[in-house]
Amino acid sequence: MAARAVANGLDLADVQGLVARGYPQLTAATFLLATVADAAAARLWLARVADLVTASDRRPDGRAINVAFTSTGLRRLGLSDGAVAQFSSEFVGGMTTANRSRILGDVGADAPEHWDWGGPRAQVDIALLLYAADDHALARLRADPALALAPGLRIVRELGTSDLQGHEPFGFRDGISQPLIEGLTKQGLRETTLRFGEFVLGYPNEHGLFTDRPLLDDEADPDRLLPRDPQGSGRADLGRNGTYLVFRQLRQDVRGFWRFLDSAARSRADERTRLAAKLVGRWPGGAPLTLSPDHDDAALAQANDFGYFHGDRAGTRCPIGAHIRRANPRDSLDPRPGTPDSFAINRRHRILRRGREYGTQLTPEKALREPLPDEEERGLHFICLNANISRQFEFVQGTWVNSPKFDALYDDADPLIGPSHPYGGTFTMQAEVVRRRLTDVPRFVSVRGGAYFFLPGIAALRYLAAPPD
Amino acid sequence: MPSQSALTIAAEVRPEATEDLRRLLASMGDGVANGSVIDLGAPEAVHFARLVLVDAATDLRGAPLPAWLVYMADVDVPKQQHLVELVDEAGDGIDRLFGHCVNYPSAPATPEQRADYLRACVVKEQARYVNWVGRGERQIRDEARLRERIEAYLDEHADELDGRDAGEVARELRRFVETDESLAWARRPAEGLPVGFRLRELVHAVAIPLLVLLLLPLILLGLPIFVVLLRVHERRDPAPHVKPPPELTERLAALEDHVVLNPFTAIGLVKTGLFRRLTLSTVLFAIDYVTRHVFNRGDLAGVKTIHFARWAFLDGKRRMIFASNYDGSLESYMDDFIDKIAWGLNIVFSNGYGFPRARFLILDGARDELAFKDYLRLHQVPTHVWHSAYGRLTALNITNNARIRAGLQRDAGEADTVEWLRAL
Repeated sequence: MAARAVANGLDLADVQGLVARGYPQLTAATFLLATVADAAAARLWLARVADLVTASDRRPDGRAINVAFTSTGLRRLGLSDGAVAQFSSEFVGGMTTANRSRILGDVGADAPEHWDWGGPRAQVDIALLLYAADDHALARLRADPALALAPGLRIVRELGTSDLQGHEPFGFRDGISQPLIEGLTKQGLRETTLRFGEFVLGYPNEHGLFTDRPLLDDEADPDRLLPRDPQGSGRADLGRNGTYLVFRQLRQDVRGFWRFLDSAARSRADERTRLAAKLVGRWPGGAPLTLSPDHDDAALAQANDFGYFHGDRAGTRCPIGAHIRRANPRDSLDPRPGTPDSFAINRRHRILRRGREYGTQLTPEKALREPLPDEEERGLHFICLNANISRQFEFVQGTWVNSPKFDALYDDADPLIGPSHPYGGTFTMQAEVVRRRLTDVPRFVSVRGGAYFFLPGIAALRYLAAPPD
Repeated sequence: MPSQSALTIAAEVRPEATEDLRRLLASMGDGVANGSVIDLGAPEAVHFARLVLVDAATDLRGAPLPAWLVYMADVDVPKQQHLVELVDEAGDGIDRLFGHCVNYPSAPATPEQRADYLRACVVKEQARYVNWVGRGERQIRDEARLRERIEAYLDEHADELDGRDAGEVARELRRFVETDESLAWARRPAEGLPVGFRLRELVHAVAIPLLVLLLLPLILLGLPIFVVLLRVHERRDPAPHVKPPPELTERLAALEDHVVLNPFTAIGLVKTGLFRRLTLSTVLFAIDYVTRHVFNRGDLAGVKTIHFARWAFLDGKRRMIFASNYDGSLESYMDDFIDKIAWGLNIVFSNGYGFPRARFLILDGARDELAFKDYLRLHQVPTHVWHSAYGRLTALNITNNARIRAGLQRDAGEADTVEWLRAL
């Protein structure tokens, strides 16, 4: 195999395109979740798709295709048990083990046995992610015979998405805060720029180390389809240029959200909006409360260059328990909050979000009126990429977002996502003198499906498509 | 209020009785004790208590090491008093548990026999950590209750208090506490440590550095030799990165995250040789000194989530047991340590067999993130039976509650009052 030219040492032509960009120009998308019906036919399909998959080294021309696998999917395709076992234990065990569900808050009504997909009733092997410039182009892409899944694959679920113009279903501008990645995105200050290896296997991460990934002996890769281990062992690197993809379908109870806030605001519209902003940490238009505590500000809609410690340490602007503050605490946590040391730790727990909304938009006013019959669900297909599921996604979800004890709080779980225990339903809004508390905050988000996927490098796709010997 | 004591009891388990004991312990809890067989919370002033089974093993020279039944408790009464109370409260529960152990008197034993047996099994800890020396379990529970009452008051009177300044609100709260008899204790500051205890601690705090100062010439002479020997050992010691089997991790994780706090128990072989044993003993002595006199107010060199911890030797210093009680998940606990005090982990655990390779006792080691996390899981002991007196209080919550109570006492200036109200 000829050596490939790499820029900055990053082999972007071998990394699937979803890492480099969320395809914002391709506003139509659909996600096909499937199981392997016939392994040989599925491998033939994969060999075709590997040639069509979008890579990270250039912008897509009107359409994008990416494909990812669960650990059962890799096994069903014929990957050896020894190779599968070298993936991370979170991926191998899957999102739905009892221990994992406790960490993620998937308990009670959100437990996997109630899910539409990904749970024991409807396991998933493969996710095929399709993106196009508009709905017509998407329909054409979906119908493209080159992508035909049968007979190798059987579709379990087809998840459509909507273009809510950069907003999520509660009505807030979304996707403002994404990590800056060395060699990939525009560069920022050292303290907020992350190593490539935090999001792609086979490169140094924020500890300066290489995340464990499957390394195979020569006999397992006689045709040398896979890149070799960059650490010099000479082994075939199945994980290189791949990453883990976390997918969770989150249904959002938009009516419940606005009804609760309307009641807490005693039906005053601007107070209702202010309370909503307190829960989220940004105004619906995007301005962060920390920079603009009293009202929305269009000029700050994309503002992301701020910390909490200097100027909002006590949470009087952006509450300590607000969603964006706990999903990304920036410089506000120990040790030595407000200093680069705090950012150093923060950098080790970031995720790269690539989700898409689904369902129709519902304004707060409409949300307060009676629902139409047969109203469809709406919500977020939450998708994120990270090299270390346990230290990144699960840490953010379990230790920061879901925890009623985040940053020395007592009983405050994330107010958007909601408590997963019988306790945690308080939301405290710190104030200059006396704090205000909302109690018994209901859950506005429920989990309808999910799985941990591996998003392989393109050479790895070809390797997976080759028959096992 | 005396300072917190630790009691560690280790009884050798008869080989043929080990599996039965394992089943018994598994029936007594799922990570949180269910109160069967014995009620770990029954004795007075127990912060935390646990029972674990340390498995039999082989030492690094091939000699067999027995299994141990280990009881550990953090309490506010002197350890011998706690032992007697445990025997009183547990009754024949002691027989059911320790009957699996070597030389246990035949059942049913008399209370004196039980107490004598346990006393003979007491192990002295090499080092301990207490989050806040002198803060008793009763104080913790009382102050939690105080906070709840004040928070309810603030919620109920939210509208009236809206717009009032900090001084007025503070006066309202003090008035509220004063008019409630059940909160009378809160008007006084928390009991301090007894004078005798403080004097003894002061003597210890001064005497040890003095001793070190006296021995300084010897220490300085010996230091280069130590460093050379250390590097020889560090380069020679095997440090294989072994991944724990997934079933092991799943079994351990099943016992975790049922409440806000978790216990952590681990056992490891001490590297062979006098050099390592001496180094470890010295390091533990130093740790005990700094946790007694420096890190005794809520902060262990940057980590604020640990309630109690202890280190003790077993098997004539061939194995060491470590136990702690901490807030949050194990992943966050491990990340906390790697991020904040990897050097602290290294100085102790790099003397343990299999720890990721360290340099100069403090470098590398735990900074190899995945190797360290795998090492911990491989050496972790399942803690089925664990009692916590705190319910849902983290260390930061507890310290904050103490701050709330303390703020009731004085009528401070404007800035301090605002700061005090922020705790609510």
